[in-house]
Amino acid sequence: MNADHAETRSPHLDLEDLIAEAAGRPAGDRARAHLARCGQCRAEAGRWNLVAAGVRGLAAAALETASPGAFSPGTVSPAPSPGAGQPAGPRSARHRVLAGSRPRTMLAAAAAVLVLLGGAGYWAAASLTGNPPGAVLTAVGGCTGLKLASGTLEPVHGRRLVIRTASGRPVTVATTASTRVSVAGALLRDITDGAPVIVLGPRSGSAIAAATVTLGPPPGGNGNGTLRLTPPPGWAAARGTVQDASAAGFTVLTPGGSRIPVSTTRDTNVFVPDARLGQLQAGVTTVALGHARPDGTLTAIGVLQQPAGSPFHAQFNAIRGCSPATVAGALAAALKSAG
Amino acid sequence: MNDPHGDAGAATCTASHEGAHDDFQLLRRIGQRDEDAMAAFYREHHGVVLAQVLLVTGERVLAEEIVQDTMLAVWRGAGTFRGESSVRSWVIAIARRQTRDRLRGRRLQVVDDAFLADQPGPGPGPEAMALDRAELAEVTRAIRELAAAHREVLGLVFGSGLTLPEVAGVLDIPVGTVKSRLTAARAALTRTLNEEGRNR
Repeated sequence: MNADHAETRSPHLDLEDLIAEAAGRPAGDRARAHLARCGQCRAEAGRWNLVAAGVRGLAAAALETASPGAFSPGTVSPAPSPGAGQPAGPRSARHRVLAGSRPRTMLAAAAAVLVLLGGAGYWAAASLTGNPPGAVLTAVGGCTGLKLASGTLEPVHGRRLVIRTASGRPVTVATTASTRVSVAGALLRDITDGAPVIVLGPRSGSAIAAATVTLGPPPGGNGNGTLRLTPPPGWAAARGTVQDASAAGFTVLTPGGSRIPVSTTRDTNVFVPDARLGQLQAGVTTVALGHARPDGTLTAIGVLQQPAGSPFHAQFNAIRGCSPATVAGALAAALKSAG
Repeated sequence: MNDPHGDAGAATCTASHEGAHDDFQLLRRIGQRDEDAMAAFYREHHGVVLAQVLLVTGERVLAEEIVQDTMLAVWRGAGTFRGESSVRSWVIAIARRQTRDRLRGRRLQVVDDAFLADQPGPGPGPEAMALDRAELAEVTRAIRELAAAHREVLGLVFGSGLTLPEVAGVLDIPVGTVKSRLTAARAALTRTLNEEGRNR
């Protein structure tokens, strides 16, 4: 470490120390002590950690899509080949000895199923099944680098969340500006004047007794009135903006200028596909999907929260690859409305 | 690497190799034509070698073929291992030569030193800021777009878990050159991130 030679060299950790740190090799006591007190080196270590995590993500994805196979030297000539340890020579006939089955064990541990209520709403919430006991981060099929944490949300402070798993272990979840946060529940206080909304529920005269209220522009919808809603018989749907919001309900002002009264109750489920972190509630079942970092935290791509016992479920059985676009698409698909 | 959550997926290819003694024994037995030892060796090293080769070639079928050729070379050449390096770096060096041979056949180069030589180090400043702003998914995507030479050195250090002296042995270059290549690789990565950021 250069700190040992502070008189003649940089007082900071040198590249080898930073690389060792990022590679997960034990740092020396002096390096650790320096890292603890030097913000510049911590930042630099963090950058290398990110690079290392990116490489590992690629490597893990590569291993996932490749078969472990097996090597059977029985098909190889037993005669030692001089210089075989330096196999740069001319290539003769190759012995392809990859054997064994190639099934991939897809860990479909997390589940989030989108249930489209009457083909109209796009309620989505997360319900986890199949988490192995004691597991903290669960793999998502199709992308080894992608992990999922589920449990009960601890009180939120800042942008970092803590999800306590069923086994009682905490998982720290880092959120960023691009993390998609979705919440569901009896969030009637979030229905405020001017909010774009989709309402679905039984008809009550000219009004709707809201079963579900979705706040915000529908994922996949363009917000200009092209979303088609097909409520089940006896039910009605309305899309527009909220007016006259109160504890008992509100009015939907449709794009065509109609005003539709909506009544709400404690049983009305409110879904916010694009929520703020502040709308997450402590003590509620929460699922975070993202990339595991070397320090064990999860950098979330998406966070879904639903109350216990919610009838709405969505499923992330598998994702077709690890690209950001693929992951974002899968996340959006789980929230997408029936058009 | 340590994985506090027991998440074996990513740890598979990043764990520091602690079975060196076992590896030496395996190689000794392989040298005596012990097929069980070869199978064990394959299980132990296949994943790391494949990940590294795939990182460089970007082609899964080709990478698997190279790994098979590598294992064949191990089977044939285990008796020549002199213990002057770790077994892992030895087998990765073999894989690298196999890769180089295959890519040379396509008139591609694994490492272009001339290309690497003039790459500046990132140092503090805008390039570091690009990494500070970047998400892991963006970094992963950007690594895919790096030149093979850059992917290779990053893979050896962070994917295969080799120490810098081991990487130097695999690449047959001084440790200082390994450092400069790493720095150049990171600089290229941050440039890619910056370009992607501008294109969004």
